[in-house]
Amino acid sequence: MGEISVESLTKNYDSLVALNNVSFNVKSGEIVGLIGPNGAGKSTLMKISVGILRPTEGTVKVSGHDIVQDPEAAKRLIGYVPENPSLYTALTVREFLGFVGKIRDVNDMTLEARISESLKTFSLEDKADALLGSLSKGMKQKVALIAATLHGPDVLILDEPLTALDPKTQAFVHGWIRSQGQSGKTVLLSTHNLEIVQDYATRIIIIDRGNVIAVGRLDELRALAQTKSDARLDEVFLKLTEDA
Amino acid sequence: MKANQPGFIGGWRNIWLLSRYWLKGRLSRAALLWLLFGESFAIVFIAFGTQTVFAFANRFATNGPAGQFSTFALSLILAFVLVGLLQGGFSGSGLPVTSADVDYVFTSPVRPREIFGAKVLINSLTTVLFSFPPLLFLYITLARNYHTSLWTALPAGLATLLFLITALMLSADVTLSLSSNLGSTMKVIRNFLIVGVAIVGFVPVILLIPSVPRFLTPISQLLPSGLAAGLSVGLVTGTPWSLGLTLEAVALFAWFAASLLLGVRMSRNHFYEVLTIYGADNPVQSSGATKSLLRTSGMSVWSVVRSKESVIMRRSKERRGLLVSSLFLSAFMVIYSLAGIFQSSPTSFLFILFLVGSFGSGSASGWLEKERLWIIRTSAIDLRRYVREVYLARVTPLLMFLTPVTVAVGIPLIIGQLGQAGSYAVMLALPAALEVAAVMMGGGMYFAARYGQSTTDDILSSQAQQLTDVKRFLYQTIFNLLIVSPIMGLVLAGAEASTYIPVSPAALAAALFVAAGAYTYFVLRYLLNVSGDQIAKREDL
Repeated sequence: MGEISVESLTKNYDSLVALNNVSFNVKSGEIVGLIGPNGAGKSTLMKISVGILRPTEGTVKVSGHDIVQDPEAAKRLIGYVPENPSLYTALTVREFLGFVGKIRDVNDMTLEARISESLKTFSLEDKADALLGSLSKGMKQKVALIAATLHGPDVLILDEPLTALDPKTQAFVHGWIRSQGQSGKTVLLSTHNLEIVQDYATRIIIIDRGNVIAVGRLDELRALAQTKSDARLDEVFLKLTEDA
Repeated sequence: MKANQPGFIGGWRNIWLLSRYWLKGRLSRAALLWLLFGESFAIVFIAFGTQTVFAFANRFATNGPAGQFSTFALSLILAFVLVGLLQGGFSGSGLPVTSADVDYVFTSPVRPREIFGAKVLINSLTTVLFSFPPLLFLYITLARNYHTSLWTALPAGLATLLFLITALMLSADVTLSLSSNLGSTMKVIRNFLIVGVAIVGFVPVILLIPSVPRFLTPISQLLPSGLAAGLSVGLVTGTPWSLGLTLEAVALFAWFAASLLLGVRMSRNHFYEVLTIYGADNPVQSSGATKSLLRTSGMSVWSVVRSKESVIMRRSKERRGLLVSSLFLSAFMVIYSLAGIFQSSPTSFLFILFLVGSFGSGSASGWLEKERLWIIRTSAIDLRRYVREVYLARVTPLLMFLTPVTVAVGIPLIIGQLGQAGSYAVMLALPAALEVAAVMMGGGMYFAARYGQSTTDDILSSQAQQLTDVKRFLYQTIFNLLIVSPIMGLVLAGAEASTYIPVSPAALAAALFVAAGAYTYFVLRYLLNVSGDQIAKREDL
């Protein structure tokens, strides 16, 4: 099963320090919520973790494979959903998933089975032959989630998977994320939806202005923030980021 | 309030307001750089192209004074502009708008006619700014050639400018006519009219073939392109003002007024659904089931990559555009061949090579806009190979269209000149057209990989993107010319070398042909590999 190990990670954009010496671990089978204000460095961290950005310093390892030194091995273990997944609008849902499965080295039989099964799970069977450009945002998001899991990754890196989704689709994605955790996948989830993090995350990482300011279970963060023992995560978050 | 009373096309205040802000938006630092660069480029292009114009003029010089026949050359060029704009009108780009226009202008209490009026005004102004200096340069060059007063260049330029504005309005009219509000009978009439104009627009091209009867000439003179060419060339060659020229001027104004009235008439209702919106993700409008064209089962990953690219080109109408443009280039090659230009003027052939190459390069540049780099970059896939396969998928239809034409044009030429030194130049030149297209397409891929904007979640600001586009176009043009210059050099050397090198001309031509082929292969391989490396380095996604 997959583990993520981030060590002394720094990312600079010219003079801007987007990430400053960030370190943490995500153990196999954990759902870890990554939260922080806008511009905190969450997406940068996610993009470095999947090999889109190069770190200025430090390393990210997925089950021991360095994403910079050994990208192919690491990428085989990762499923990624970006914040705004842009898809090939001129392909149909089935064509797109077939293409993604192929470039992620899934064999034909498994690919066919996984596409059919996923379309059923995500209630997209009747849209299998629809062009992606004709789908609603929620449907596109579902297609992106399916694409992230076609190759059976051990690690899921989800960047704001609930953005702009209607309540029904949000509820569906909540359930899907929980089911991924229950099936033993490691999930790193970046979101502004603190409710889902409070409900499903085994641990929480709070990041602000490129620095990790807190890591731990909710009760540990409550203690750190010196809030009440039943304080909600949004309260804890505001307290910790206010103090930072 | 009085200033905003609806007038001929609506409230002038709104038209002025929109135009002012659009102009402010357009005249950024990058846009001004574009303007200067574009005008300099156009002037260099005109200086180069006038050689070809005079080659056409001389081709018909036996039938009368050469100046008269330059009207043909100009009406040919203007007809291409007209047909191209009409074609653009059909694809919805006759009235380009931005996403911001749709979000803020179309949702404001502004009449659609006012939006149309402002668009026409701003397009006309941009055309004047961009086109007038090169046009003036062209007519001054012609006036010097015909030993007439340089002042004649001014009205001649204005006449051509009026044509350009009219053609832009016609293009806008075509886009407006695509609106679903149009009745079915009107749609049929519209389609017939457009096809008719497109066919008539090509008459000047057909007239270049010596055996085509001359009675077709007046037909082309009725179009705004023919009228503007007649007026401009008439003025610049010193033709005395006559009833004929007066009628041509009146007819050109009539075209202008008619196209404006037509647009005003059709812009009574909202029309944004028929426009090409720049900055949008070009959503495919089709809903419901679509026949699957991408088979993955039993296929290798690379054939799936090629197939994916072909399907995208087909569904996004890019392949249709490729076909139309290839037919255009093919027609050029055939006409050049039939008119004897290839045999008599090697420089005119370089002009064709340039067109073919620019087209290939432009076509490749479009690749990245449709690519989804986050998917590719997060997959364990060889990016160099990926880019090579995408290139293959893109270059194959281009070569499939152009190769038969090249063979059809080349064989009669070679047979006709067999044994002469010129035939070896032709033997080299025809495959070189394909090689140049292929290499410049590789150059286009490289520049797209390095500077092109992908559809990302971190979109560059429009001004930053404009600056990037300026740099890309500038570097791409210079770079492409440099990388294809050895091939072009071989073509020019082909005819001359046999005179100076004591070997059989056929053996020399074969050697040069192999050298050009090897050069093409290695340059392409290098370009595509570095394109893959550039994709791997990109961080703007």
